[in-house]
Amino acid sequence: MPDNIRVLSVLVEDGPNTLSKVSGVIRRRGFHVRSISVGPSQEPGRSRLTLQVDHGHAEADQVRKQLERLVEVVEVEDLTGHDVHSRELIVAKVATSEVAGLVQRGARVLDTGPEGTTVEFAGEGKDVGDFVDELIRHGIVDVARSGPVVMRRTA
Amino acid sequence: MVLEALEREGVELIFGYPGGANLPIYQRLPGHPKLKHILVRHEQGAAHMADGYARAGGKPGVVFATSGPGALNLVTGLCTAYMDSVPMIAITGQVNSTQVGRDAFQESDVIGATSSVTKHSYLVTRIDQLPRVIHEAFHIATTGRPGPVLIDICKDVQMAEAENVPPERLEIPGYKPNGHVDLERAQAAAIALGTAERPVVLAGHGVLLSHAEEALREFAERAAAPVGTTLLGIGAFPVKHPLSLHMTGFMGTGWNLKAVQNADVLMMVGMRVDDRVTARLADFAPKVKTFIHIDIDGSEMGKNVRPQIEVVADAKQALKAMLPHLPEPDKGRGTWLAQIDAWREEHPLRYAHSNGHLQPQDVLIDMYKRCRNEAIVVADVGQNQIWAALWWNYDRPGLFLNSGGSGTMGFALPAAIGAKFARPELPVWCVAGEGGFVMTAQELSVAVEHQLDVKIVLLNNFSLGMVRQFQDDFYGGVRSQVDLTHMPDFVKLSEAYGLPAVRVEKFADIAPAMDAAERTKGPFLIDFRIDPEAKVYPIVPLGKSLNEFWEAPEDA
Repeated sequence: MPDNIRVLSVLVEDGPNTLSKVSGVIRRRGFHVRSISVGPSQEPGRSRLTLQVDHGHAEADQVRKQLERLVEVVEVEDLTGHDVHSRELIVAKVATSEVAGLVQRGARVLDTGPEGTTVEFAGEGKDVGDFVDELIRHGIVDVARSGPVVMRRTA
Repeated sequence: MVLEALEREGVELIFGYPGGANLPIYQRLPGHPKLKHILVRHEQGAAHMADGYARAGGKPGVVFATSGPGALNLVTGLCTAYMDSVPMIAITGQVNSTQVGRDAFQESDVIGATSSVTKHSYLVTRIDQLPRVIHEAFHIATTGRPGPVLIDICKDVQMAEAENVPPERLEIPGYKPNGHVDLERAQAAAIALGTAERPVVLAGHGVLLSHAEEALREFAERAAAPVGTTLLGIGAFPVKHPLSLHMTGFMGTGWNLKAVQNADVLMMVGMRVDDRVTARLADFAPKVKTFIHIDIDGSEMGKNVRPQIEVVADAKQALKAMLPHLPEPDKGRGTWLAQIDAWREEHPLRYAHSNGHLQPQDVLIDMYKRCRNEAIVVADVGQNQIWAALWWNYDRPGLFLNSGGSGTMGFALPAAIGAKFARPELPVWCVAGEGGFVMTAQELSVAVEHQLDVKIVLLNNFSLGMVRQFQDDFYGGVRSQVDLTHMPDFVKLSEAYGLPAVRVEKFADIAPAMDAAERTKGPFLIDFRIDPEAKVYPIVPLGKSLNEFWEAPEDA
């Protein structure tokens, strides 16, 4: 991963303004979002964002610090360089029913029909990248891919 | 319900402008005689008045505006307050909650438009949110690093009736105003500064906001360390103190810049260390071995200059925690202070005063002689601002107000009006160029209506002086769109607004005009026709290092 990318896990208060305020701060400080995943956290009323942010010309710790200034942001954990579980999800439709190779890699078949087969696969970013290469050989009709969700490893 | 909540927060004064989407609030206003409302002539004026009121008096300024254009007219004023960490509450009307997003009449996305210039903002769509929101807003605006908070309230919420129960306690999990000092770091900072051979302390607005002037002076005297201030930090350290370096930055004094560029330990307190302070960043304070940065906002650490010792805390608490750990000053300290005295002699503030023109410095020096440190000076932006910063010997906090971070032209008049409301016992002088003055001159009506003792010193050089100076010196001498020959007759303009005014064109007329201003109750304007070629010195050429400052030519 390039040096200027920070991986952040951000706990936020749910609210209509939260996402725009987070993205606004990233934009106006000269950072750039490479990926974002959002979903409810274990705490009611709070969501967890996993962000990959390019901090551009700013100091690396500015991304965390600027996000922490937002009242909507409860907690920011900078996971860059830490030992983490990082998972991305991909759902893809391929124009064939011959998907044994994909299943062997760990894909799960969601549905299959005359127009093709829909599969899902989750893994580390690199594994998902390799999986995409494999998909290309099968003829991709459509693909939807999430950004990573990241959690620090126990132990 | 809004008004009850404001009373509960101790609000006495509101600057505002009514319109379609905040009429329910205005309908109830006469029923709250404890809340005095100042009707402005433009919403930007309201924001600057609230800003001046907060800077001068310490209490948050409160602004009302309607939706759409009313709220958007606040943006410049919010940005001005945000950049300079001024506590303010802006309450804007929004269309009915059921109409939001339908492009209703005078609807605009005020939260979206103001997010980047507010510390926090709320859109209130339900009445039950309101008491908590208003209480939180005041807390957030005034604690930690202060700033403006905007509350956008839908019109149907303003009309709703509900039991007005204040929230018992604040619960804002995402709001973490810093304040507590890491004692180990404070000790390390004290030792680093105390044992330095060539220490320099720079003080910013944060010192004033935390009322740390006394703590700073005690610290500096004990450490025998010289102290400079930023433009917004003026007043944090007495200009005439033997340890004073006066103002720093790219229009700072020569002896200050020499000291900063030769320091071995530089302690920066309550400041952002922005480009106006550092000039060319790569060459800022190049001999410093240890940068110490004290600021309440942790994101300032390393934003521009990476400190070796960072103390994220309130300035006063940090200085007080450091004081007992200061060692005896280094033996070489006398040499360093003597060197600074030599630089002070070598690079004095000076200006040309024999070319037959009225000089702005003469005007300010006369003003200073009459007021000393018993008046508030509110400057606009441009040459007038720097002259007003350098040619007064401020020795107390809160006497010099200006838009430092945002550099908002048109700030001075409304901010001076706000300052006068906050500190009616003090004379208030508004120093402005004619360019900035006409940007908000409509607020003269407010000064006349309330017969505010605001004295307006117009430094009129028939041009956008600072821009002209930059064009002359840094943009190839091409004077482009800076000529302001076609301006109103300011004496007649004042008469039209209903305040007395005089014009001054020569040195001998300064004092009589000032006498008249002081004698007159209520607002008074003096149109000083100053040297149209007058420049600001010292100045560091754009893109250069602080070492390369230009000084005023010696008077011929």
